[in-house]
Amino acid sequence: MAQILEVKALTKRFGGLTAVNDVSFAVNEKEILSVIGPNGAGKSTLFKLISSFLSPTSGEVTFKGERISNQSPHIAARKGVVRTFQETTIFRNMSVRDNVIVAHQLRARASLLGFFLGSAEARRDEARFAESADEILSFLGLDGIGGEFARNLPHGHLRALGIAIGLATKPTLLLLDEPFAGMNHDETMKAVSMVRKLRERGLTVLLVEHDMQAVMKISDRIVVLNFGEKIAEGTPSEIQNNQRVIEAYLGVEDEAIGL
Amino acid sequence: MTKKLAGLIVFLITVFIVVPWLISVTGRTDLYYVFTSVALLSIASAGVWLTFYIGRINIGQGAYALMGGYVSAILIMYYGWSFWWTLPVAGMFCAVASILIGIPILRLRGVYFAMVTLILTEVMRLLALAVPITNGAKGITSIPPPGPLSIFGFVLVPDFATLQNPRIAFYYLSAVLMIICFALMYRLVHSRIGHICMSLQQNEELASSIGVNIAALRVMAYAISSFLGGLAGAVFIGATQSIYPSSFTVTDSVNFMLNCFLGGLGYVFGPMLGTLVLYLGWNLLFSTGEYQLLIYSAAMIVLMLVLPNGLLSLGAKRKD
Amino acid sequence: MEQVIANGLYLGAQYALIALGLTLIFGLMNVLNFAHGQMYVLGGFITYTVYGQLGLPFPVAVICSGITLAVIGGFMERYLFRTVIRRSHREESTMLLAAATAFFFDAVMLLIFGEKQRGVPKIVKGVFNDFGIILPYDRIVVGVVAAVLILSFIAFMKYTRTGRAMRALAQDRVAAQLMGVEVDRYTMIGFAMGAMLAGLVGGLLVSITGVNSGIGGPISIKAFMMIMIGGAGVVGGAIAGGFILGMMESVGLTVLREFGDVTYLVIFAALMVFLSIRPNGLMGKPWG
Repeated sequence: MAQILEVKALTKRFGGLTAVNDVSFAVNEKEILSVIGPNGAGKSTLFKLISSFLSPTSGEVTFKGERISNQSPHIAARKGVVRTFQETTIFRNMSVRDNVIVAHQLRARASLLGFFLGSAEARRDEARFAESADEILSFLGLDGIGGEFARNLPHGHLRALGIAIGLATKPTLLLLDEPFAGMNHDETMKAVSMVRKLRERGLTVLLVEHDMQAVMKISDRIVVLNFGEKIAEGTPSEIQNNQRVIEAYLGVEDEAIGL
Repeated sequence: MTKKLAGLIVFLITVFIVVPWLISVTGRTDLYYVFTSVALLSIASAGVWLTFYIGRINIGQGAYALMGGYVSAILIMYYGWSFWWTLPVAGMFCAVASILIGIPILRLRGVYFAMVTLILTEVMRLLALAVPITNGAKGITSIPPPGPLSIFGFVLVPDFATLQNPRIAFYYLSAVLMIICFALMYRLVHSRIGHICMSLQQNEELASSIGVNIAALRVMAYAISSFLGGLAGAVFIGATQSIYPSSFTVTDSVNFMLNCFLGGLGYVFGPMLGTLVLYLGWNLLFSTGEYQLLIYSAAMIVLMLVLPNGLLSLGAKRKD
Repeated sequence: MEQVIANGLYLGAQYALIALGLTLIFGLMNVLNFAHGQMYVLGGFITYTVYGQLGLPFPVAVICSGITLAVIGGFMERYLFRTVIRRSHREESTMLLAAATAFFFDAVMLLIFGEKQRGVPKIVKGVFNDFGIILPYDRIVVGVVAAVLILSFIAFMKYTRTGRAMRALAQDRVAAQLMGVEVDRYTMIGFAMGAMLAGLVGGLLVSITGVNSGIGGPISIKAFMMIMIGGAGVVGGAIAGGFILGMMESVGLTVLREFGDVTYLVIFAALMVFLSIRPNGLMGKPWG
């Protein structure tokens, strides 16, 4: 399998605090890779570095050979690396359907001027967007509430909408920010199968997460961080038996790490 | 759709037929200047509204109105240009200037951006005083009225000097420009671009994550906004035939912003209605003498308490 | 040189007080009090009336200014701003209300006090002339009072329950609410205090520079500049901004006097550049 994302010696310092220290790993095409670690391990900083929302102090991130770190976030998105946010990040005053439709603009073939003038190309784009939006909404179980204003949605639907927005950009690599946070067992299982279906659509998925059970179930490979450094990398069973990982999580209940 | 079309037709009839008829019947030809001002000021306010649309508070439109006015005046007086050609040039000049200014300042948000734009208006006034070509405090006066506008020998607009009442001509010109401006704004807001701008206004990070080049989009919107300011200023000096460093001040910049608020930030036609109400209201209150400002501001406060989302929030559904 | 510094310090103390009031209101409500300059002017007029016209002692007059403005400020928050904030869709809508109140203040003061410049008799006669500094005693007194007020304010915010509640609110509204801070009450107190500070400075300075109904707007703009330099919503920023502007004016008055209007052009341009580099001022809290 080809490597599509490479994280090379990534380091991020905030003043005196080193949040991420010399982390390197790669993500293979069409795999589901999870980044885990105890609280404060630097997962969320790493996530922002990979998605280009933070610039590294040193090191770089490349996608399909091209550097995406140290650039404006929209450039990473245009290259196919799209992140989701935690659930309250949607366009509040637009309808659910419009939220998803507007996110398609990355894949527009008509120019902005074309959209303004209502050219034939633009109209074809609009039709495509609408169709695609409906398909995505139904894929995520959101059909029927397309007309609701996004700010009125309940918690669970907000999360799904966030993913719908990400999917609309037709990403190659989707970065999920704690997709299972705050979910009960049933919700988690549903979300797990949804992430699997994402892979079936041809996506590669990198996710950052706390929920061990879900991570063990869904991941092809796992990267473990502790105190900003990578302490382990491997398949779920390798990670579960990794002494350093167990030590890092010492004090955490056994069930939490899937034993 | 038919209701909107009917509304549009009524509006056009009112502007082009009813108002001139009423004026000729009542003999109040001074009102032409009032309505011309309303039309031009609403164009400038529309620019400010557009900046609001991308999530910035713009109290600097007066700077571009002044800039546009001076560009037009200088081109007419020192280079013998025709008034008509100075209009797009004044607008473009302001747009380019605003791109240069906008690139650094549009990163600022909220009050910080607002305060910088406030300063900008004042800076423009000081520049007008200091730079030799603008003739300092004396301003540029005795600007000739617009000449004829003809394309391929076909005279679209006659020489204003030959008209019996050039005020009517300026009124029509301003009204036409205002309608074109708002038509384009309406189209913009309801197109895909409008939705993208809306996404930018609502959540910059999220917009960025879906590939919107937020820096570029902001600058583009600001450039269009400043173009409108410059255009309004240029037409204004054609009507008043003079320009001074004090022609557009901080007060005007604040007023453009207030026009948008009063009409309603969520509505494309907000600035038009807001300008009409505020300008007419202020002028109507003139007869109250020293109580003018008191009544004006008290009315504004009451309006804000009752309709905090602007006048148009009464009837229309939110257009965003 | 020492003269410039002395002038700068004295001015800076006054300006810092003005900026503190403005930044307090901004920090609590995300509202830029357009009427702040007008509140200063009203404070000046009240002191002029109580001390200059009625002959009561100067401290009494200044206190009257403070209390009146505090009451007005509280009223404005409770009945005007709270209503608009609750009901408007966009945060910026309060700007129109703030601008309208500024106009209203201007109108009322113009009607009551007219356009004339008003002044009051000197509170302390005599001039300090030593160490190469010439500074009238009344300026020293006012400067010291201002400094004392600043320190009291800082102490108040740091050590009293009310002060801590307001700081919590300014930092994180939701968290403060969850911890039981009564948002409405402390917002009102904060606005009242901000207004009071403006009124106090107005009362103090009327004894030195006098006041007239037209200077409200320019003072508001100066106050805005101060918090832009220092950063909005942060006490340290307001003080820094106040002193910096005071110093800049003192320097400008002496050094750049020949260049007139260009001085302010330079200051403005520098400010724009500065803000491009440090968008939130020296230590400000980001908007939104």
